[in-house]
Amino acid sequence: MGEFKSGFFIGGEACEGRVLVVDDEPDIRKVVKMTLQKAGYEVLEAENGEKAIEVINSGENRLLLDVVICDIRMPKINGAEAVAYFRANYPRVPLIVLTGFPDTDMATSFLRQGVVDYLVKPVEGEKLRSAVARALEQRELAKL
Amino acid sequence: MDRTDPTKVAILGAGRGGRALLELLHQIPSIEIVGIADRDPDAPGMQRARELQIPATTHVPDLTGNHGVSLIMDVTGDPEMERYLHAHKPPAADILSGSASRLLWTLVQHESTLEAELLQSEKLAGIGSFAAGIAHDINNPLQLILGLAENLTEEQDLAAVHEQAHDIIEAVKRTSAICRDLTRYSRRASPHQDLLVSVNEKLDEALKIARYAASLHDIDMVKQYQPGAVVKGNPDELLHVLVNLITNAVHAMELVGGTLTLTTTLMDGQVHVQISDTGCGIPPDKISEIFEPFFTTKAPGKGTGLGLYNVKTIVDKMHGTIAVDSHVDKGTTLTLIFPNAELAGQGRLS
Repeated sequence: MGEFKSGFFIGGEACEGRVLVVDDEPDIRKVVKMTLQKAGYEVLEAENGEKAIEVINSGENRLLLDVVICDIRMPKINGAEAVAYFRANYPRVPLIVLTGFPDTDMATSFLRQGVVDYLVKPVEGEKLRSAVARALEQRELAKL
Repeated sequence: MDRTDPTKVAILGAGRGGRALLELLHQIPSIEIVGIADRDPDAPGMQRARELQIPATTHVPDLTGNHGVSLIMDVTGDPEMERYLHAHKPPAADILSGSASRLLWTLVQHESTLEAELLQSEKLAGIGSFAAGIAHDINNPLQLILGLAENLTEEQDLAAVHEQAHDIIEAVKRTSAICRDLTRYSRRASPHQDLLVSVNEKLDEALKIARYAASLHDIDMVKQYQPGAVVKGNPDELLHVLVNLITNAVHAMELVGGTLTLTTTLMDGQVHVQISDTGCGIPPDKISEIFEPFFTTKAPGKGTGLGLYNVKTIVDKMHGTIAVDSHVDKGTTLTLIFPNAELAGQGRLS
């Protein structure tokens, strides 16, 4: 897997990495996308866990996806199920949970499953971007 | 309770005590109030009696001369009245007066306070379980507001600034609606027992509240409302009933999903309200227990066991009935049947 690196080029612009945002609220996807695009990330969207699994399994995403940011309370496949799926099938893609409901037990359980960060909405842009940067570092380390 | 002829009661005195007695006794099917008397034709109990179409008179002999009366309740507190009654009561009638009637009045007050307390505690205990839903619904718009506001600090495009400021305003409105709905629901029920209430509106209001208690994400909703489904009762209490039943229905479909069907039908002068789920169902041997106090299938700390008990109390008070039709693994339908208040056509719509 060592041949793919962050910092590849899309449409002539430097891309810091490709992030998938999974949230059932279009507003959240919009604002997270806005926040991350400013820092040079390419952002893909999925409205629930089921769609997220479709996105990660389609074409080149399987190889090029760098980070997944996932909500918990969603229809169809919820965040907890999606996290379990990603950890089992794509253990090298770092996960960030971004949830509206702070729950210590849930946070501990996610971190134990290897989730990089557990963020509670509303989260400042700076904090979100640094969580993504940390997750990318982890992905780089995982490639070594 | 034996189903013999109703006890015929006359109430003397239509002040606060008389009115409360009237209100209470009126709700008990085995009691018939033959009338209420007071010197003041505008006393609160007199007005209430006229609304309930119960004879109200300023002339005590109108009531004491009625030989069908089996109990005369004297809450005038007037020693003259006590003497008059002992001299003029119908032979078959018992008299409740003086300290006995004051004690009864105190007990009535106490019981209605306890009932209100019980409803309120069960409601508040339920709201505890709303935390996840409320947090979700408040923190999502907050995330939007924060993200947009951060962006606005450096946004150059004026059109984008306007659009995003507008989005922030809308998000704030959504958030404040959540608080408004919840505070309206969590407040103590108003004392009005006899307003005209649109069941269809209350069902929609209950859905808004129930989504905090249980995720409706994987639930298909079917609404079949017949216009004109109006019942008489306390709107806050009816809302409480519907929130309880909808929450139970959604919990019955937890994890697997299913269909929630809300139906109102007008039939033979009655309003039928059905709340139907395609969930786990209730085992036949448990159906008779579900309205018992402290019956719960939820894990310790998750339910008070008072939800359906309170539902039954309120429905009884509204002169309604509840029917349960449940099949394990197929689903449950609860049918509430109330007298159609639109036919009576009085009170005001809430």
